[in-house]
Amino acid sequence: MENLDAARLQMAFTLIFHIVFACVGMVMPFFMITSHYKWLKTRKKIYLTLTKSWQKGVAIFFVTGAVSGTALSFELGLLWPEFMKHAGPIIGMPFSLEGAAFFVEAIALGFYLYGWNKIPEKFHWITGVIVGISGVLSGILVVAANGWMNAPSGFDYVDGVFSNIDPVKAMLNKAWFTQALHMTLAAFASTGFAVAGIHAYQILRGRQMDVHQAAFKIAISFGAIAALLQPLSGDLSAKDIAERQPVKLAAMEAHYDTEKGAPLYIGGIVNNETQEVKYKVEIPKALSFLAFGDFDAEVKGLNDFPEDERPNVAIVHYAFQVMVSLGGIMAMASIVFFLAYFKKQSWWQKNWFWWGFTLLAPVGYMALEAGWIVTEVGRQPWIIHGIMRTKDAVTPVPGIVVSFYMYVALYVLLTVAVAWLMNRQIKALNQSQLMA
Amino acid sequence: MIYVVLFFLIFSVLLYVLLAGADFGAGVLELFSSKENQAVTKKTLYRVMGPVWEANHIWIIITIVILWVAFPVFYNVLVVSLHIPITLMLLGITLRGVAFVFRHYDAFIDKSQIVYDWMFRVSSLVTPIFIGMVFGALLSSQIVTNQESHSFYELYIQGWFNIFSILIGCFFTALCTFLAAILLIGESEQEHRKVYVKKARIATIVVVILGFLCLLYGYLTKVEFVSVFLESKWTLAIVIISGILLFPLWQSIKKQRRIYSRLFAGLQVVCILSAAFIPVFPELIFTQTHTISLLENIAPESTISVLGTTLIIGGVVILPGLFHLLKSFKMIKILER
Repeated sequence: MENLDAARLQMAFTLIFHIVFACVGMVMPFFMITSHYKWLKTRKKIYLTLTKSWQKGVAIFFVTGAVSGTALSFELGLLWPEFMKHAGPIIGMPFSLEGAAFFVEAIALGFYLYGWNKIPEKFHWITGVIVGISGVLSGILVVAANGWMNAPSGFDYVDGVFSNIDPVKAMLNKAWFTQALHMTLAAFASTGFAVAGIHAYQILRGRQMDVHQAAFKIAISFGAIAALLQPLSGDLSAKDIAERQPVKLAAMEAHYDTEKGAPLYIGGIVNNETQEVKYKVEIPKALSFLAFGDFDAEVKGLNDFPEDERPNVAIVHYAFQVMVSLGGIMAMASIVFFLAYFKKQSWWQKNWFWWGFTLLAPVGYMALEAGWIVTEVGRQPWIIHGIMRTKDAVTPVPGIVVSFYMYVALYVLLTVAVAWLMNRQIKALNQSQLMA
Repeated sequence: MIYVVLFFLIFSVLLYVLLAGADFGAGVLELFSSKENQAVTKKTLYRVMGPVWEANHIWIIITIVILWVAFPVFYNVLVVSLHIPITLMLLGITLRGVAFVFRHYDAFIDKSQIVYDWMFRVSSLVTPIFIGMVFGALLSSQIVTNQESHSFYELYIQGWFNIFSILIGCFFTALCTFLAAILLIGESEQEHRKVYVKKARIATIVVVILGFLCLLYGYLTKVEFVSVFLESKWTLAIVIISGILLFPLWQSIKKQRRIYSRLFAGLQVVCILSAAFIPVFPELIFTQTHTISLLENIAPESTISVLGTTLIIGGVVILPGLFHLLKSFKMIKILER
């Protein structure tokens, strides 16, 4: 394996894992404090049990997210030293702020986890809120740094030299808002569906209905609202990309020729050699409308760009299809949930309802990963869009493939361990309820 | 502003060494304890470190962010030449962190504890060795930065895998263990204190011996850093101070005075780090052919001033919170006396 490929795979692999850990660590605190709030309000024991059970989940995921994040902060330099040498001073600001936010989160989490019966009740709850808010802030800041790679700004680049650096402008690059919004909603939607799915499965198996129903309602409420808002944010992102990175949009849509009134392709099999997309569903003029709000607008095709500046069309196109269709399924499921909640209470008794949400548990994360594949693979061959190529940023240290395999082994092990621990948490929760 | 940034860099490194160091050291102590003491250490560790260890380890992230933002060229040498030990160190940090949480948050206490315990102890030993080796590598004059006409071994292995760096790695690990033993004297139940007093004494002796060995080896093999070190008046002054401070430290350990023993132990670490780095600062990397200054090719002024401001704001927000956390869970008792 080439060093560049190994480095890219390692980066992709660590990010794929880190994103899940980080999102759970970022969103679960909100479920936890909601349940905690209900405990303080109603003094119903199940909310206390649930809060304590979820806080263990938060602790486990927070740490896994934190250590994989520590590894990542080093990996940026270890794998892409040329990138960091130039980009570090420019995008340092979101990273240093992220460090601060993360620090606040760790401190607040220390208070929260160990504060039961030791610090005043309300203050204790507030530390939980701080955990949630600082977690989301960390996420937004990191995504802002990624946004800069897509929409580099805050510097002049002449003859390979970066000058006139403005870190604030770099942080507030054109992509930061749409990306951060899309990612935050995605984190809530996917974690909401995942947690709800796990509890739905417990309900299906007839276990401790009360506590699992309470858990399901809290988790799915967050997830469903986020999933319903996500298409709107996706629309913002699409319009933004159409303007800023037309080549990425073209790859997402497997759109080779520039045309006015461009159709939207759904699905299909991409053949990059013949530039054909077979077996697709075609909606006339829809792409022009979605990208520019005008049915006759011109959408640039891949052929407008030099061949060595195009990403891998098939990967980006398929990932995009996966993301959009899974997102669509989640939005529909959200409507089903709200219907069941407000109108059709009888659905709560139906097995199909719980099976449905059980099966949807992994879907949010699949969509989220697919979305990151779209944005990261879609930026290639650039590491800094239009400025620095990924191949020029890679480390000169040979044999990265060894470290790639090491990381694969490590993260697979971690995932298995965390899944196993979560299973044990649920078992313990069920047992404690039986005892009660 | 560069001074603010430098201050936070030194501050973060120091706190990482002190706090995370004690944290690693506690794992090492647990490794080298009898079965009964292992269980006691584990319990004490959970109580003492549980609320704070995560925060302790964030200092390394702050350090790394400051390095890459403000000192990109210096950082570049680090991540290229020391790719392997840094990767191994990360592996250790990861396994250790998850093992700590797994063993305390697993819903059932059963045989799986054995796995977590060993994972925790072994990675607690290995990680500081690699951190120390990274420090050692910077000072060992073995790093080669010129990519051309050098073998893989010369470029990426011999820089850190040499006797001097390994000695520094062991020295650093002993230092961590020393910190942990002193911390735990004050945190354990009365009947267990003696154990930690004994361990603190052994650790002190090991630190002194290993420190001496590092210098002796460096002197005999003519490591450039060691000659600068030995010729500097700063070093002499600091070593004398640290030698004198050993006596009150020894007394406070003997009398189980927790605040004073921690204070003097912390001062020892400050002395060691200053003795090592003040004489050579800002030339912090000794390669085979030349030295590399931390202050060479730093980030432009605009970046430094934004970073400095961020650090000040962050410091104002974080430090009181951190202090309150440490205090709430009785890591710091100074305020109560």
